Amino acid sequence: MNLGIVFALAGATLSALTSGIGSARGVGIAGQAAAGVCTDDPEKFSKVLILQLLPGTQGIYGLLIGFITMTQIGVMGGSSDISFIKGLLYLAACLPVIFVEPLSAIQQAKASIASIGLVAKRPDQFGKAMIFPAMVETYAILALLVSILAVFGVSALSL
Amino acid sequence: MSVMPMKRVMICALKKDRKAVLELLQRQGVVQVENPQCDAADPVFIQTDKSAEAAMFRKYAQSAGEALAVLNHAAPQKKGLLSSLEGRRRLSVEEFDGLVLKRDEILTNCRAILSLDRERIENEASAPKISSQIIALEPWLNYDLPLNCKGTKTTAVMTGTLPNEWQLDAILAKLNELAPDAGDVHVEIISTSQIQTCIFTVCEQKDAADVADAMRRMGFIKAPETDVNPAEETKRLKESLEKLRKRNASLNEKLCGFADRRSEIEFLVDYFSMRAEKYEVLGTLPQSPRTFVLEGFIPAVQADDLKELLEARFDISVELADPQPGDDVPVLLKNNAFSRPVETVVESYSMPGPGEIDPSSLVAIFYYVLFGIMLSDAAYGLIMTILCGLLVRKYKNMEPGTKGLLELFFYCGISTTVFGLLFGSFFGDSVNIIATTFFNRPDIAQPALWMAPLNNPMKMLTFCFAIGILHLFVGLGAKFYMLWKDHKYLDAIYDVVFWYMLVGGCIVVLLTVPMFTNMLTIKNTLPAPVGKVAGIIAGIGAVGIILTGGRDSRNWVKRILKGLYAVYGISGYLSDILSYSRLLALGLATGVIATVFNKMGSMIGGNFFGAIVFLVVFLIGHALNMAINILGSYVHTNRLTFVEFFGKFYSGGGRKFQPFAVHTKYYKIKEEMKS
Repeated sequence: MNLGIVFALAGATLSALTSGIGSARGVGIAGQAAAGVCTDDPEKFSKVLILQLLPGTQGIYGLLIGFITMTQIGVMGGSSDISFIKGLLYLAACLPVIFVEPLSAIQQAKASIASIGLVAKRPDQFGKAMIFPAMVETYAILALLVSILAVFGVSALSL
Repeated sequence: MSVMPMKRVMICALKKDRKAVLELLQRQGVVQVENPQCDAADPVFIQTDKSAEAAMFRKYAQSAGEALAVLNHAAPQKKGLLSSLEGRRRLSVEEFDGLVLKRDEILTNCRAILSLDRERIENEASAPKISSQIIALEPWLNYDLPLNCKGTKTTAVMTGTLPNEWQLDAILAKLNELAPDAGDVHVEIISTSQIQTCIFTVCEQKDAADVADAMRRMGFIKAPETDVNPAEETKRLKESLEKLRKRNASLNEKLCGFADRRSEIEFLVDYFSMRAEKYEVLGTLPQSPRTFVLEGFIPAVQADDLKELLEARFDISVELADPQPGDDVPVLLKNNAFSRPVETVVESYSMPGPGEIDPSSLVAIFYYVLFGIMLSDAAYGLIMTILCGLLVRKYKNMEPGTKGLLELFFYCGISTTVFGLLFGSFFGDSVNIIATTFFNRPDIAQPALWMAPLNNPMKMLTFCFAIGILHLFVGLGAKFYMLWKDHKYLDAIYDVVFWYMLVGGCIVVLLTVPMFTNMLTIKNTLPAPVGKVAGIIAGIGAVGIILTGGRDSRNWVKRILKGLYAVYGISGYLSDILSYSRLLALGLATGVIATVFNKMGSMIGGNFFGAIVFLVVFLIGHALNMAINILGSYVHTNRLTFVEFFGKFYSGGGRKFQPFAVHTKYYKIKEEMKS
């Protein structure tokens, strides 16, 4: 029996799983802050909504890696004959996303909440408020990038 | 393309013209009034405090606004989805003057609306109270005495409830036990339920205290008091509830009757906000017994027109002067149609500080390109372009802020379309999926005019880095320009040219290393001699930075140490360039998620049912993907602009030009003035 595909699929699904959990939590707590602002001033809805959504992208990055991995390992059709070592390599390729995305989503949500507070008091500073959470996202993007390159790199290997 | 030059304006006029001059200035809206604080010892000019008046007008505006909110709640206005794009309505000066005469009447209406609303709210609050009284009387409906009946001269009556369910015998036995000395006690059960038993008790007056004490120990609670028997009281309460309901319906009708006055009330909000602003300015004017003075800033292009206009109409002195160096001149940006939309982006960072250039046109080019690479789907780009283009064309009267945003997305849409075509993405891989699923032609696919990033991620990454390096170098170039313009030639060389040499040299050296070019999939590795030359150039740059990076220190040891630290800034360039990898990541995100939705939609197959499922998944999925990725692209384009690009040359810190003008919410007073 060849366990390669098991590890590879575990990598793919864990990417979507942990990132989804992180983003759900991030968007959730940011949403509570946003709703609080709207009770006072419903006109700020669109601004705080954008800030609430910022930690949501990590879930999408997880989905992205999950999907790319699944197409590469043949779960979505094609041959799923993956060697044991290659399966482990796919799992390793997914690790940055599996760990960085959920943590960065939650940290970004905290920055988002602070920015929502900023917008509540000074709506004219929206441009700056948006940048603080976006700073955190850089690391989510870097992790995504490494995972993308690694997944493609692994699929090019003949092991 | 630049920061508008400003002039200082000083107006001196007769006090009798004060109202007319101020109103004219307010309607023209070109002067930012900044009067210096008067010296308290000044024998001629004094400033009169008008903050009380201004606050009063603000209060009027506020109550008109509240009345408007009540009206909108009672009689909601039918508004289209896009009504917010229509902008403020226009009002001619005659209409304006006509409405001003009616202001007291309108204000009375506002107060009437507010008092009607107050009554409505009170009624609404008292209705539940009455309802709960009715509920409390329900167990007593069979009782035919008034509930506040205390008894007769010789007998005492107690009505109330005992907790839990009681039988008559049990009550009597318990009373007997707790008050053995009391004489006859008569108890009747009016109603029972699991949680309480309503009882009626009669005893002789002399025993009243004993019985009451015994009952209290059993947990007796007095019944609610009523003057008439409970059935009648319930009827009375129901009637008053009905009366309240009717009253509120009629109040609501009365409120709705004001609906056709809505536009007048909106006018009143605007009118009082305008007057408040006028009085706030008035309070800062230095005034002598017969004259007043007004100082401020005006864009130079409008200065002469205003001078002419004022001098033609009043006995007035208008002096124009160039701002002194050191004056904190407010900043107004002026750009062509292509770069105007990013003014809001620049403004949300900071206005250019003294001596800085307006970065809008530099920002604009890269802004559109970066956004396009991140979204990179031709269909999404087309939708954005067409939608924003149509809206801007249709709603001519749109507020400038909204218009700017739509125009920004219009240009971003064009760029997105271009990059979408280059990277072969149209709703992701929809062309191929539709052809394969429904027409069995897997050979048809949207061709990438340049390359598909998903198949060449390293090549795409190299492209992103190249764009990043270009972006950063343009930023450095802007710094060079600003320093050169300020005649700081040496600084320009130390802070810009040396960095160009160091960073540029290092990049060229890397391009001669085969391992590096292989990794980045660059076909041609530069020959080694080029690398040598580049290395020497980078070395000169590095030495230059070490020698000059700490030039504000006199001490040479300190200076070299500071210079060494400055060279360490090269790591900053590395992370700046790497930061542009987000272009690739976000671009792939759009494409891959679109692909996911296409694949999900096509899972049912090519039959009729499959087509319907595909359509539904396609519409919802792509709407979602578009929304989330436009947001992502917008945020990260801003970030690349603010952090990486502005970090190289722009610090801002200027004050925005905020003229004394008609700042209204609902109406625009037409600019033409009656002469």
